[in-house]
Amino acid sequence: MVKKYTSMAYANADELIFGQSKFPVKAGLGLEIGAGYTTPEINYAPRPGAGVSKEKLIKEYERITTDVMSRMVQIGAPSIVLETEHVQQMSNNPEWGGAVAHAQKTIMEEYHDEYGIKCALRHTIGDIRETRDYLDLRGDKYSTFMEAFEEAANNGADMLAVESMGGKEVFDYSILRNDTAGILFGIGVLGSMDMEMVWKDISDVAKKTGTVSSGDTDCAQANTAMFIAGGLLDKNLAHTTAIVARAISAARSLCAYEAGAIGPGKDCGYENSIIKAISGVPIAQEGKTSTCAHSDLMGNIVMQCCDLWSNESVEYHGEFGGTTVQCWSETLAYDCSMMNVALKTGKAKDLRDILVLSDKYRDPQGYVLAYDNAYRVAQEIAKDGENNYLRAKNAAIECCNIIEEGVNSGKLRLTRFETNALAKVKADLEALTDDADQFMSDNLTKFKQEVAVFRPENYGL
Amino acid sequence: MLDLKLEDIDGILVRYNVALEKEMTPDEAAEELYPKDELIYPVAKAIYEGEEDDVVDALQAAIDAGKKPIDLIDDALMVGMGVVTQLYDDGIIFLPNVMMSADAMLAGIEFCKSQTTEVPEPKGKVVCHVAEGDVHDIGKNIVAALLRANGYEVIDLGRDVPVDEVIAAVEKEKPIMLTGTALMTTTMYAFKEVNDKLLEKGIKLPFACGGGAVNQDFVSQYELGVYGEEAADAPKIADAIVAGTKDITALREEFHKH
Repeated sequence: MVKKYTSMAYANADELIFGQSKFPVKAGLGLEIGAGYTTPEINYAPRPGAGVSKEKLIKEYERITTDVMSRMVQIGAPSIVLETEHVQQMSNNPEWGGAVAHAQKTIMEEYHDEYGIKCALRHTIGDIRETRDYLDLRGDKYSTFMEAFEEAANNGADMLAVESMGGKEVFDYSILRNDTAGILFGIGVLGSMDMEMVWKDISDVAKKTGTVSSGDTDCAQANTAMFIAGGLLDKNLAHTTAIVARAISAARSLCAYEAGAIGPGKDCGYENSIIKAISGVPIAQEGKTSTCAHSDLMGNIVMQCCDLWSNESVEYHGEFGGTTVQCWSETLAYDCSMMNVALKTGKAKDLRDILVLSDKYRDPQGYVLAYDNAYRVAQEIAKDGENNYLRAKNAAIECCNIIEEGVNSGKLRLTRFETNALAKVKADLEALTDDADQFMSDNLTKFKQEVAVFRPENYGL
Repeated sequence: MLDLKLEDIDGILVRYNVALEKEMTPDEAAEELYPKDELIYPVAKAIYEGEEDDVVDALQAAIDAGKKPIDLIDDALMVGMGVVTQLYDDGIIFLPNVMMSADAMLAGIEFCKSQTTEVPEPKGKVVCHVAEGDVHDIGKNIVAALLRANGYEVIDLGRDVPVDEVIAAVEKEKPIMLTGTALMTTTMYAFKEVNDKLLEKGIKLPFACGGGAVNQDFVSQYELGVYGEEAADAPKIADAIVAGTKDITALREEFHKH
């Protein structure tokens, strides 16, 4: 059994601020995350073709690590986190991931020893629990999956993370068909069940290896919705539907911390402000500095209470200003410097509110994630924290209420399509049962029929 | 917390989508596009509404009135899907509506096939796959649905497809086009291997690629590559090929946007 959150870590929304968390986390070489300062977190992807051999891949990560560390010293940045998101070759061959972690940490230690720069290495293992035809969440690949965490931890990774895939088969089907119950079932129920299993085991690995069990996001589902929704003129998904998926995702991502993770939550979890309000764990976020990876209509607002500030991911290659990892880590470091000055000079809340207001009315997604509204969603999750289904449903309904209030204020403007989509999703939610067992039973029956790749045994059902 | 005054928001951002929104509702716009034939109209309307049972009922009524099942695929189902595609291209309806209409149309095609021994003629055959090492298939699924909705026969190889399996499928099926999607930089490299092996075998087939980390620069590096920025580009590229544009350079000129 995991201990569920049923109360709030923060007494009110205004307490949420960047660089400070209720429960700071020590990691790596001299770093403390959420302890009164923000730190850049650079993330990168090797060039196409770099994965053809272990040696070539290690060399690529050595170049990346040296480039980042040297640039941070060149510009006087006091701290840095490197996040290596495993390519599939590393997670499928845990020894490769361990070798990469070892090579990276060796370089980071040299810089720490010589210059005293505070630094930590996060390894995010790929969720490899699949076959060509099905997700295979509890099957043959599970032991390799866990071995990948252990190898990375034993060889230099300081923080362990993943973007888990539980529930994605139902979500993928449902999000393309405006099926609200399916979105809730995929993210809030199936995803939460899977995370409770996975994160208990990852946290055990972290305890055993003396590393940090850092966190998960609902990247595979809520970010898919955000990505499909796109910009203002894209016609693929209503942004109101996307933010409902995001609100549900907060109830799911919280499961990592309930199963033993201590943070920092991962950058691509735009639900992290909600998580922080409930759990008090430090969080990473990405926004204007992740435009190298995607566009999201929330460039500034997500900085509001970040503890690590990330670029999501950038392919390693040359730019005029150096390699991409040098350019983006430098940008991140200047952003962090700005936030840290605000903290030191007592201007942090002013800066936070300016960041929030620059995006709050841009889109319903930013509106709901603004810290005052995020706090309300968080309260609705904690209210029924013991029940994965009810808390996810609560979050979704509160999300709809918040958007309606925004529209009524005249400040948040929606298209007719977004308004209709919101009305539909709210009506769908309100028609759902409050009985979690009934919801499970209804949707098991439905999605076993409709989604060929859905296998209840993945969830122990 | 600080807040903006209502009158100050326009100076911070512009919701261009609200400003540009069409006057007509989607239903009104669809009504203007439906065919007038009283037997075809209900089929097209049911396709637009994504109601599979209504599609089948409307097809049955048309067959009962003397229409040939095989003709109804082109003359009714495709016409209904044409309405949906046009509304999507015009920005009046969104992708989930198209996906639901595609499901309804496929149910309609199956029903028509069950009512006759004649074999329907697709506009062409397309092989779709997700790159080896990559299991993210939502993009490929959208591409496949949109291609089917536009009258193409899709050979869906699924996700994490080994390069040699892609080559074997192309040799066996002889499609007009191959599509590939990928999320990661290290998996999309498989596209180049597919390209090289096809060329080794003397197969010069348009290879439409897209997805998460895939960009036009990368796709342009291999001879057969045509970059698709959106899933909706796939049927448009296929249409251009069917219409006679088989040269890769010409396809790039038409579809490469950057």
